[in-house]
Amino acid sequence: MNDTAFDIPPHLNAAAPVEFTGKSRDEVKMMVLNRRTGGCLHTRFQQLPDHLSKGDLLVVNNSRTIPASLQGKQGDRVFEVRLSRKVSSNEWDALIPGSIYDTALPISFGDGVSAAMVGKGSEQPLVRLAFTIESAAFYDFLYRKGQPIRYEYIDVPWPLDQYQTVYGSVPGSVEMASAGRAFTWKLISQLRGAGIEVVPLQLHAGLSYYGDDRWPSPKHHPEEYHLPHGTAEAIRKAKTEGNRVIAVGTTVVRALETVAAEHAGNLVAAKGVTDLYITKESCLRVADGLLTGLHEPQASHLDLLKAFVSDEHLFGAYQNALAKGYMWHEFGDMNLIL
Amino acid sequence: MLNNKVIMITGASKGLGKELALQFAREGAKLAITARNPGPLSIVEKEIRALGAEVVATAGDMSVPGDVDRFVSVSEEAFGRIDVLINNASIFGPGPRLLSDYPEDDFLEVLRVNAFNPFIVTKRVLPGMMMKNAGSIINLTSEAGKTGFAEWGAYGISKFAVEGLTGTWSDELDGCGVRINMVDPGEMDTGMHDKAVPDCDYPLAKPHEHMDVFLYLASDAAQNVSGKRFEAQEFNWKQGEENE
Repeated sequence: MNDTAFDIPPHLNAAAPVEFTGKSRDEVKMMVLNRRTGGCLHTRFQQLPDHLSKGDLLVVNNSRTIPASLQGKQGDRVFEVRLSRKVSSNEWDALIPGSIYDTALPISFGDGVSAAMVGKGSEQPLVRLAFTIESAAFYDFLYRKGQPIRYEYIDVPWPLDQYQTVYGSVPGSVEMASAGRAFTWKLISQLRGAGIEVVPLQLHAGLSYYGDDRWPSPKHHPEEYHLPHGTAEAIRKAKTEGNRVIAVGTTVVRALETVAAEHAGNLVAAKGVTDLYITKESCLRVADGLLTGLHEPQASHLDLLKAFVSDEHLFGAYQNALAKGYMWHEFGDMNLIL
Repeated sequence: MLNNKVIMITGASKGLGKELALQFAREGAKLAITARNPGPLSIVEKEIRALGAEVVATAGDMSVPGDVDRFVSVSEEAFGRIDVLINNASIFGPGPRLLSDYPEDDFLEVLRVNAFNPFIVTKRVLPGMMMKNAGSIINLTSEAGKTGFAEWGAYGISKFAVEGLTGTWSDELDGCGVRINMVDPGEMDTGMHDKAVPDCDYPLAKPHEHMDVFLYLASDAAQNVSGKRFEAQEFNWKQGEENE
């Protein structure tokens, strides 16, 4: 839990993608927070290039959102199953909101596909499911039957493509890596034209909320990541030349700092599973800045933000964002911390 | 040269699409294939496996965005990337028939399948290519895509659209490492040609005889070639040589 207490008034829950108000993705608001002074500047996301310099490197998470919400059935009981993480080609950790299920019975999903509960997941209340199909056949089934995970502040069943960044291309996240949602290809092209390269890594994001006021604990919330060779090289070059590496999203910080921690501070191509918990005590070795959304007070993401800014500056900025009507969650406004 | 490249082909269960899939399998590529009808698609899948190549086959209608996302996502999950996209799927529609007699619904359907489909498949595949600044997209066109032929109906008109799509996208992708070209296969002995020219009384080329241009455009030898129109039956490529 965080000591940065604040409440998000309901009207600041972004319930719809900004495009449905006739605007473009990159027209959301952006608060630029100075890491050292705590000063805040308010602008539009489209102005991002104005706040960066030639040579800066933006690292994005191009993991693509999968339709991770399935409708399961045991006898006459029908309930939602939210996938959280792929464990093997046919095994997934999953959340079954509510407790009206029988661990001894298989869950059927239609099309002849079912899953057995074979144990506990990485932490409570996750369970481990073993599906009767695997690999490509499993994903074909998932895309036919699954829906995107939607939280209670969403009152319209937005389709899966609303839960994608424009550059998402490696399926695996059960929730959108939403820090990058505001990018358009036009903006990426402008950035590249200005000498600000945009490079990818993948971290397949798991569930961020378990319901009933339960949030994942990062130490028990492993996520799969992959840092490609070209991206590792681009980061090393930026660092050598004294340029800034800006992570687009907390998932990117988690992946980059994991690789640095496991390779004595060096950035090399790597893949694996991370349970790194980044807090204000953590020393950031790679990320110099962070582009992110606005986070709930209880989420561990805020702990990660405190590795970049002091509690005082973060709290001040969030009060500022609340006063100026910034929108929260995956369809909301942006926060650039430099 | 094509070893381990991931080649995605739409409309791969018959005709030219099938021959392309088998040829790329022989060249050592990995295949992601789709077609509407799962039966014939699974036969091609087995033939590719028998050649020792990796393949992921996903049945779907490439003019439906949800099916496109499913096909591309299943393929990306399996292979991690798409190196080459061949937009081959198309229909001829009713015909031979004068435009004056052409049903409105069929006109829209032919445009949806032949022009909208390569737009949505390309739009879905491009992000992965643009993030790594590499990739090759090959759109299938036709002589009817640059010359109006009586009684070819909406098919020719849809191929004019494909040529425009290729040109516009090539201009937009300039300098980003992703290339997009088009190939006119010419008249070939396929089910579609049979529909366009019933009772054809002159000899026709077999699809497998004219694979060079596709292998070339998929290869790194063509990495600086974009926005061009090729004629498959006029093109010869000795692998290892530049053609431009």
